[in-house]
Amino acid sequence: MFKFPQGLYVDVRIEETFDTKISFKKKELQEEKIRNNKGAFIRVFDGKRWYYSSTTNVAGIQEQIDALAKMAVPDPNILQHPIVQAFEVHRESQIQHDKQSITDIPVRDKLELLESYLALITDPAIVHHTSYYVDNKTIKSIYSSKGTAVTFDKQTCGIRLTLELACGEKKDQATVSKAAVNFAELQRLEEFISAEIEKSVACTRDAEPVTPGEYTVLLSPEATGVFTHESFGHKSESDFMVGDETMKAEWALGKTIGPEGLTIIDDGGASGSGYTPYDDEGTKAKKTFIISKGILSGRLHSAATSAALEEPLTGNARAMNFEFEPIVRMTMTYIDKGDRPLQAIVAEIQKGIYVETIKHGSGMSTFTLAPARAYKIEKGRITTPVKISVITGSVFETLADVDAVSSEFELLSFVGGGCGKMEQWPLPVGFGGPYTRVKKLKVQ
Amino acid sequence: MKQELIAIREKETAVRIQNSQINAVRLKDIVKKGVRVYENGKIGIAGAIGDISEDTLVENAVQNLSTGIDYPYPLSTNKDRRCYNDKPMTAEELLAQAESVLAVLRREYSDFSFSETIAAAEIVQEMRNSEGLDLEYKDAFFSLGLILKDKKSANLFDGFIVCEGRQFDPDQFWNITRPLLEAYRTPVALPAGETLPILSFDISGTLGFLAKSLHGERYATGSSLFSGKMGQQLFNEKIALEQNRNPKFGPTAFFDMEGVVLKEDRYPLIEAGKLVSVFTDKKTAGLYNLPHTGAAGGEYDSMPGLTAARNTPIPLRFKTDSGDLKAALKGQPAILVVASSGGDFTPDGSFAAPVQVSFLFDGERIVGKLPEFTMRSHLYKMLGQDYIGTFDNTAFYLGDLPTQLQSCYMTIMR
Repeated sequence: MFKFPQGLYVDVRIEETFDTKISFKKKELQEEKIRNNKGAFIRVFDGKRWYYSSTTNVAGIQEQIDALAKMAVPDPNILQHPIVQAFEVHRESQIQHDKQSITDIPVRDKLELLESYLALITDPAIVHHTSYYVDNKTIKSIYSSKGTAVTFDKQTCGIRLTLELACGEKKDQATVSKAAVNFAELQRLEEFISAEIEKSVACTRDAEPVTPGEYTVLLSPEATGVFTHESFGHKSESDFMVGDETMKAEWALGKTIGPEGLTIIDDGGASGSGYTPYDDEGTKAKKTFIISKGILSGRLHSAATSAALEEPLTGNARAMNFEFEPIVRMTMTYIDKGDRPLQAIVAEIQKGIYVETIKHGSGMSTFTLAPARAYKIEKGRITTPVKISVITGSVFETLADVDAVSSEFELLSFVGGGCGKMEQWPLPVGFGGPYTRVKKLKVQ
Repeated sequence: MKQELIAIREKETAVRIQNSQINAVRLKDIVKKGVRVYENGKIGIAGAIGDISEDTLVENAVQNLSTGIDYPYPLSTNKDRRCYNDKPMTAEELLAQAESVLAVLRREYSDFSFSETIAAAEIVQEMRNSEGLDLEYKDAFFSLGLILKDKKSANLFDGFIVCEGRQFDPDQFWNITRPLLEAYRTPVALPAGETLPILSFDISGTLGFLAKSLHGERYATGSSLFSGKMGQQLFNEKIALEQNRNPKFGPTAFFDMEGVVLKEDRYPLIEAGKLVSVFTDKKTAGLYNLPHTGAAGGEYDSMPGLTAARNTPIPLRFKTDSGDLKAALKGQPAILVVASSGGDFTPDGSFAAPVQVSFLFDGERIVGKLPEFTMRSHLYKMLGQDYIGTFDNTAFYLGDLPTQLQSCYMTIMR
């Protein structure tokens, strides 16, 4: 297909995307758009330095390969380079959405589905609302000078209702959303949407300011997902560790960093918004146990970090889109389910906070969670909604404070937003897990 | 039928850095085109990336007219073509500058490692229509954004060095970067006191919350914190906030996504602490009888609307209201915040944020690096009784774009 120059490693990633976006403001259609795009990212490696090019001129890929090759210095032993040796070689086509493809659903059906849910927005506290249907199908093809030739597809679709709320002088904005892989999963969501709207209105109307301090915090599966992603997930991305002896010592495999009931997994093969059957270097998805029963047991890798740290590939080299090179990113990351019922876990909390939904999170040395809906826990019961700016904890200490995980468990996908790492934002990821209790976190 | 074209061409050479060494060179050349057609008060849209013909896009946009979306507003007809940098840095110059910066960092600051990107980008953004609109924004800029990691630290990273502008001045860069890196090596304790002056370069969190509250649609429908408060004194009398699209402050186009060019590229929203306007696009202004402020956003192929998109942020900017930073601090040491990630406002304006990286500043120079802490306040206090001022940033060179420092007192949680 391409003529790869001698003495260099080359790979080419071609991305074809189909996107639909439909939006309403109140009941008036604002936008109905279908976008079909195609772009490519080319990498050339001479053993010392990488040369990348991203282009919308897909017909000119060979010229791009040749131009990058001129910048590189060929190495006759390039195939023996540890990074090049690390690359997996696959020749496979894994198209799985040819039957229930979102490209085959008439746009009218998508519009009518979204419109049908607008009838549920009747509460007078909702003074304005904007609603979206979005979907994306991406077909990626990856070719390399080592012989890889894989093509696969992935798709997601979802609805998102953004509600502007006003209960007298109390104002807020709330989001109700649902993401799925197939269009059919977005149908018959009336009960879910009505319940979410009701809870959001009640929070705006009744929420009290929190008394700042240290609390036992119970996290929902959504909040557990953000907590896992921010408090530990980023630490497991091994590009932060290459060439850094302090990090390697601090996060040595085999070290105990959490309780025995804590297992954290990243799985690119899991269905949803983090689904990555092959990463953007052509490595097949793996299920990686990052923490097994409280013990650090794995890390997330690209070929370069895998070679540098002499650990196995995990399929986590991901790029936001064809404009960027793959870097180490999470896919579907979650705490594995526990064996205690939620009710028993709540019953043990005398005074605490329950975090149900999240606006955003971040994860440097101090990780943060900004709750959207949160409640007091008083004498074993979830009670009054509370307004919280931010919940914080130390990434070095908090995992050890996880003292209960529930048998109830949920993995979640999302439309809109995603994970940010330096210039590459937003990358679709999935997360979730059980209800998780943390002994102490700072609540402001 | 009327037609409108939006075309964006982005070229970039980026040097990717890992552990203070150049790891990769990335070239980017991306074309994005959008077409809108207008007929009988309706709008149709289409767009694509790559060198697709305008005829094909017009055909797709005409098909999109069948969605029946109303757009009964007059099209803009401005003519304005501006170039802000006719001497873009070449790829060779960029590589030489990157090698030079990294050589100093490796030689003099080997206790740290530096990673991320040094880049030179060029952008041409055009908007034309059949009614005579003819706008072009052409620019080129350099950006250096490196994360810094103390080799003895187990953190993912410990700080940043940043420089952005149309040209790169190595002397000015090192004049501020050297003392800053020295300060990273010099841990100091937080000053005593529950309430301390905070000094910030990055006030995007505050601007983001203000953007929500100054959003014309939210204001008009009653969900803004400021709804019903037009003309009222909300903040300290010194405070003036405006919509400002002047590219001298940053590399974004001087027109909005409806082709509107503001007089002097600005529109006042808060003057002397009083709310004087909210921001609107043509539709919001017409629907709610508000002044039109030219704030339409959207992607190259989107319906224009009052929505911030990645390339069209709502361009809010405080006016500089204070001159002498040292005098304003009245001899009290201030905390210069460099990284505060993850904080937020509650809907009623309470604010809390962890501060991951900050320095002690004595009014003239950076003294040393402070430990992590959390700061807490409220919007009306930060921009009210506890407000110190907004200053032109002459103390810390962050590149040749004019930047500001904003200061207020906040409660410190140790």
